[in-house]
Amino acid sequence: MSNQTPLPEPQEQLPAVGPTARGVENYRGNARRRIIRRYSGYLFLAPYLVLFFSFLILPLIYGFWLSLVDYEMLSPEPPGFVGLDNYSEAMDDPYFWQAMKATGLYVGMAVPLGIGLALLMAVLIDSLPQKRQGFYRLMIFMPTMITITVAGLVWRWFYHSEFGLFNAMLERFDIWVPWLTDTTWAMRSIVLMSVWWTIGVPLVILMAGLKQIPVSYYEAAAIDGATGYRRFLYITFPLLRPILLFVVVLSIIGSFQVFGQTFIITEGGPELATRVIMHYIYDTAFNFYRMGYGAAMSWILFAVIIVFSLLQFRIFRER
Amino acid sequence: MLAKEGLLGHLNVTRFSHRFQVITMPTFVRFRLLLLLLPLALIGLIITGMSGCRGGGDVIHLRYWNGFTGPDGRTMLQMVRRFNEENPDVRVTMQRMAWNTYYNKLFVAGLGGRAPEVFVLQTDAFVRFMQADFLRPLNDKIMGENGIDMSDFDPNVIDTVYHNGNYYAVPLDAYILGMYYNRDLFRQAGIVDEHGDPAPPTNREEFLHATRKITELGQTDIGNIWGFVFTFFRYNLAGIMSQFGGSLFSEDGTRTLINSPENVEALEFAVSLIQEHRVAPNPEAIDSWIGFRQGRVGLVFDGIYMLPDLQRQGDLDFGAAPIPQLGPEPGTWMGSHNICLRADLDEETAEAAWRFARFLSDNSLDWAEGGQVPVRRSLRDTERFNNMYAQREFARQLEIGQYLPSNPFVFEYFTELDLALERALRGRMTPQAALDLAAANIQEIMRRYGIIPSDEADGET
Repeated sequence: MSNQTPLPEPQEQLPAVGPTARGVENYRGNARRRIIRRYSGYLFLAPYLVLFFSFLILPLIYGFWLSLVDYEMLSPEPPGFVGLDNYSEAMDDPYFWQAMKATGLYVGMAVPLGIGLALLMAVLIDSLPQKRQGFYRLMIFMPTMITITVAGLVWRWFYHSEFGLFNAMLERFDIWVPWLTDTTWAMRSIVLMSVWWTIGVPLVILMAGLKQIPVSYYEAAAIDGATGYRRFLYITFPLLRPILLFVVVLSIIGSFQVFGQTFIITEGGPELATRVIMHYIYDTAFNFYRMGYGAAMSWILFAVIIVFSLLQFRIFRER
Repeated sequence: MLAKEGLLGHLNVTRFSHRFQVITMPTFVRFRLLLLLLPLALIGLIITGMSGCRGGGDVIHLRYWNGFTGPDGRTMLQMVRRFNEENPDVRVTMQRMAWNTYYNKLFVAGLGGRAPEVFVLQTDAFVRFMQADFLRPLNDKIMGENGIDMSDFDPNVIDTVYHNGNYYAVPLDAYILGMYYNRDLFRQAGIVDEHGDPAPPTNREEFLHATRKITELGQTDIGNIWGFVFTFFRYNLAGIMSQFGGSLFSEDGTRTLINSPENVEALEFAVSLIQEHRVAPNPEAIDSWIGFRQGRVGLVFDGIYMLPDLQRQGDLDFGAAPIPQLGPEPGTWMGSHNICLRADLDEETAEAAWRFARFLSDNSLDWAEGGQVPVRRSLRDTERFNNMYAQREFARQLEIGQYLPSNPFVFEYFTELDLALERALRGRMTPQAALDLAAANIQEIMRRYGIIPSDEADGET
């Protein structure tokens, strides 16, 4: 909304001089109206704000407090304040680092691959006749609508190296891939499935972005003899940048919180190679009932996401 | 989707000229309003729907939670319906959720005082909930006029719910690890008895012979045939370890014995099936069961709960038998579903809940039909049970079945156990090294729980 030209504020009608009876009344009426005008917005926001505070802000504060105490739900002792002990435990916990590494690997592969493919497909689909675009967009968006449980269960069978679909098909070409049995391959397989599953969202957003770029720019470029590649580089890409930033940030935040895919397809295996940080936090807090430690790790993850998001904004703004 | 629409709306407003804005804004606002009203309407619907569900009058309402999300859930639902019909003064509503998230939901509901009146606990999780004071001791009900004769239960089963002189639950069943075998592959490999019927192995020699012969059958058009495959490492190995005399914790529960020589030997044997005898493919923790369903595996060890899967398939000629004795003594793994009552029920509700628990136990043959073994001997001695082929075969192991130890840190030691088994079976570590590492980590967990004093020197063996 910030770019929008502000509408002229209606001038308030204040009484000219003197406290005449009518003037006072007018003034009061105006004051009431002013108050209403100032606060009525909040009234409209109230339903959301109530939910926002009770389900986001309060848990956030509570979570921060949790991260500073030694709260183990099964322990008979009341939670005691331990300061930053939970945080320092994470620093010395090999499982934490393993999970961070797995998460980093996922983000490092899934984000560039996902956005790159989405951008490529968005441009390709956008170049098709308008009538057919909807069909392709729907096709690519479709997997996103499948719940992760269903998609995950199907893919984990696809991926089974001995009894799965992919290797049965690849066998004709004498290829055998250790999809989920190899510690390096497992994460790649997860990324591949995730890209298939999630690509619809960035694709739809990017396509909407492409539609906003005035056709006249392309026409001008065509007259000047710019090739398709150059048109992409000098028109599409720069004008798409704000949307791209939005998509990348969204994708990074989402990728750091990857959970469903690994939880269902590999259950964190083999040998914890795909147990990502969210999975470890979940285990710690809800299976091992170590709320304090789980909360501390969540805050570390939060900090990491914030840092990455700020970096993004920086990079995209500078160019 | 919301974010997407929001963004599009944004673009409309920011990019177009002032003239355009006048046109787009009202529709845009109207759309927003609609978006706002939609969830509100939904919430309203849910609330009215929920209030409609509540029974009126003097009916006692019982909420019953469990993790029976598979075909077993349908069987259970039928039993619940029958109970509701036969007991008009009680209304049971059942809620199912997947086991892997069930316990934390149950636990959190319990902490908030909203636990269901009746719920199911698997033996693994039992002690955790008992020690957290979630369970109502049932002695008064069991000994009461509407009681159950506890001697009807198998002693090793009832032991798991008996603590400090109190019964805390009614065991509903025992899901035992047994052997499923592919009768076609057995015939093809010539492993048959004098009548030409497939002969399932009963000891180590027969097991190795059968699996080797079947593996030698070689290729099909969709891949290799294997004699054996590890399905779920934890339960597969728990069964094998019990045959080597291994246990995971000392009697008093203060020390882990996971790296005892017996367990190491059991794991070494399991690894040899892959690396030395080559009768099993490289282990994959998930979904190897599918190989058996595809008819490409000679035999597997899995729970009785997998039976409906095979029965529905129809075109697989499978047999069921106790698992062969691979170690020096007979044994197998098992678990139970236990019916528990919430700790703080008032007398009237407790009576109704008990009536329901008893009903489930009394009718556990209905339950067994869906792929379970009842744990009341009087029910197993019936014609009806004898006609349940796989259940009957698996039930032969009831006396030698062993539970995995249940303690407050059960899921934490499971993580270590699973990891050690995976490392060894995948050949990344020797069984000894993998189990030693697990032992050290489990000691650490026990120290954190205060089971081992923290100043005590490391108890690694």
